[in-house]
Amino acid sequence: MKRFIIKIIWLFFPILMVALGMEILMRNIPNDYLLKNQYLENHSPEIETLILGSSHSFYGFNPEYFSGKTFNASYISQPLKYDYKILEKFQGKFDNLKTIVLPISYFTLFSKLEADSEAWRVKNYIIYYKMKISSKSLSDYSEFLGNRKNVGIKRLVLYYILGKSQVTCTESGWVARYKSKNARNLTETGKIASIRHTKDNIYSDKYQKRYKDNIETIKNIIKWSENYNIRIMFVTPPAFETYRKNLNAVQLNTTVKTIKEISSKSENCTYINLLDDPNFIEEDYYDADHMSEIGAKKLSMLINNKINE
Amino acid sequence: MLFNSIDFAIFLPIVFTFYWFVINKNLQLQNLLIVIAGYVFYGWWDWRFLSLIIFSTIVDFSVGLQLKIEENQTKRKIFLWISILVNLGFLGFFKYYNFFLENFITAFSFFGTEIKPNSLRIILPVGISFYTFQTLSYTIDVYRRKLEPTKDFIAFAAFVAFFPQLVAGPIEKATHLLTQFYSKRSFDYSKAVDGMRQILWGLFKKVVIADNCAEFANQIFNNSTDLNGSTLLLGALFFTFQIYGDFSGYSDIAIGTTRLFGFDLVRNFAFPYFSRDIAEFWRRWHISLSSWFREYLYIPLGGSRGGTLMKVRNTFVIFIVSGFWHGANWTFIIWGALNVIYFLPLLLTNNNRKNLEIVAKGKILPSTKEFLQILITFGLTVFAWIFFRAENIKHAFSYISEILSTSLFEFPIFRGITRALATIFFIVIFLLIEWYGRESQYAIANLGLKWKQPLRYAMYYSIIVAIFWFGGKQQQFIYFQF
Repeated sequence: MKRFIIKIIWLFFPILMVALGMEILMRNIPNDYLLKNQYLENHSPEIETLILGSSHSFYGFNPEYFSGKTFNASYISQPLKYDYKILEKFQGKFDNLKTIVLPISYFTLFSKLEADSEAWRVKNYIIYYKMKISSKSLSDYSEFLGNRKNVGIKRLVLYYILGKSQVTCTESGWVARYKSKNARNLTETGKIASIRHTKDNIYSDKYQKRYKDNIETIKNIIKWSENYNIRIMFVTPPAFETYRKNLNAVQLNTTVKTIKEISSKSENCTYINLLDDPNFIEEDYYDADHMSEIGAKKLSMLINNKINE
Repeated sequence: MLFNSIDFAIFLPIVFTFYWFVINKNLQLQNLLIVIAGYVFYGWWDWRFLSLIIFSTIVDFSVGLQLKIEENQTKRKIFLWISILVNLGFLGFFKYYNFFLENFITAFSFFGTEIKPNSLRIILPVGISFYTFQTLSYTIDVYRRKLEPTKDFIAFAAFVAFFPQLVAGPIEKATHLLTQFYSKRSFDYSKAVDGMRQILWGLFKKVVIADNCAEFANQIFNNSTDLNGSTLLLGALFFTFQIYGDFSGYSDIAIGTTRLFGFDLVRNFAFPYFSRDIAEFWRRWHISLSSWFREYLYIPLGGSRGGTLMKVRNTFVIFIVSGFWHGANWTFIIWGALNVIYFLPLLLTNNNRKNLEIVAKGKILPSTKEFLQILITFGLTVFAWIFFRAENIKHAFSYISEILSTSLFEFPIFRGITRALATIFFIVIFLLIEWYGRESQYAIANLGLKWKQPLRYAMYYSIIVAIFWFGGKQQQFIYFQF
């Protein structure tokens, strides 16, 4: 038995040391989640407009084009549940917050971060946002365990050896990476993204549960904002026709109808559907459902005008 | 709890430490620890369904005792049927209720009668098909007087909830596993080392082969209407290796883990993709299930006694039931039917027991004939797996018809081709190692045993690095859903 234990320790000790080293090094790489949390920790009292949501917001709303102090707290695949957790975490600190911009995309009401291919992002909210999320999976508490190892090592090499920053967003939380000059094929991306965002059967138990949970979260966000007299602007962001034409009508209509109904019940809420707004043309898109920097400027100015109306 | 999760990597050493260091002198406590560990392991997924396992355990334990006392044959039969009805009742309700209801409604609507569907939202308890069959083996064997019923409830509960094989087998017969709970276990160094090696190999199969293949198989099967024939063929091949890596990997980890605790489980896979005919494939694939069906269904039905017609009927029954055991969907039944169609010519020409030994035993390479036989058997298996993986029969047929179209000769197109090439590279390496180790219990059972320690450790580290570095996105084990 003693021999077996010694051999096991001998075999696994180097692996544990490497894992521990990688964990420490990876946590020390500055990243978007860390910076967004730090910004909110330090500047919440100054923020007048807060942008939440997924990549449609992250790429689509540039705080520079908003008249009041604006911060973009959205992130790729960030679901409503985590939007609400951000509000809860900084509750009482938003002294000047007047408006929350919350996108309701085609997939929003049927998504659940923990259950889809982006589930590995949960760890970022636990580690960097320090949110209280009860996860049964230990990999949600660790950079080493939560990432594919080749991705982790790539990040270490990029940052520590090649000196490349892992931060992609500006100080105000917007990401300027999607440039119009590098725009992707809108036909191809429209088809791929619409397939990815379409749920096979929204009436199945799984999606009905997600739908109910997300509606509950929206109601909580509304209640939260009513307590602080903050206005919520729900926005369905624009998307190019190659994306729109491949959407499932039932899923889309359910989404639009639901959010219209919910927002009409509260005086604090407005809803703007820009999905097929003709003002957004080909050059505004980086891919079929994400804005380029040109589109982001246009969208940000449009929403800013709506806020100021 | 998944074997390929960090949760299990922490759980296993804790149970191991308690088992061998804290309560190693008390057999009862060791068995009790196995019961608790089994319940924690299972409850990690959903603690509510533990009640089903506990209920089955109590019923079958009590039935076993009654079968021992009772001499009246009619009463004994009644007790046996209580056990069968309770176990198959749970299985039938959780697994097949909605399937039968939907088909019932469809059948009536065919005759013009509309029935309002009243389907229930039923969650399928993980592993129910496995532990149900395992406990049934106990009551049936006690009924047949092949096994003395146990009076030790803890040992019986440990037999039912033995965590390494609780949710996905191998399906153990009580005559083999339960008796191991009665005797004192002592730590066996070579057995434990062998167990660790088998766990390592199982993890490689699951994480490197199955999980990587799963990404492409899922992508291709889920978008099959938009893809050409060559891509779909590749998707079917990826699924073929996914299901093998996934399930045999699970079995390896399960068997390896039990060896750490001083137990021996039956072998579940014996290099099935090197089979020369379908009969050999079925002797090498999910051996514990085939063996269960043979003993508790095929033989009671008459087996191969009686005329040809009887033999054909019985074979049909076990293949169809085996298909249906995998899931409440017509695709599984068709999969079972296809296999029986492959199998029957061998049975009728008395060629079904021709290839009992592993191919090319003692040789480096197979003969040309053997190679072609392997290729044909593999091709038939891949074809059948399409039904197994498809969402429904329509999906399976459209998938196959696209493969059989001229688009088969186009270049495959799908996302992540570079990673797919890396996966194919690993499949080739994997097949070479499997071929090299095909005469052993598992592929690396004898690999490197006579090497010097540094070289052997280098091999272990290479496998560990491959698991960490090339592991695909964590996927649930396919057989959990059965």
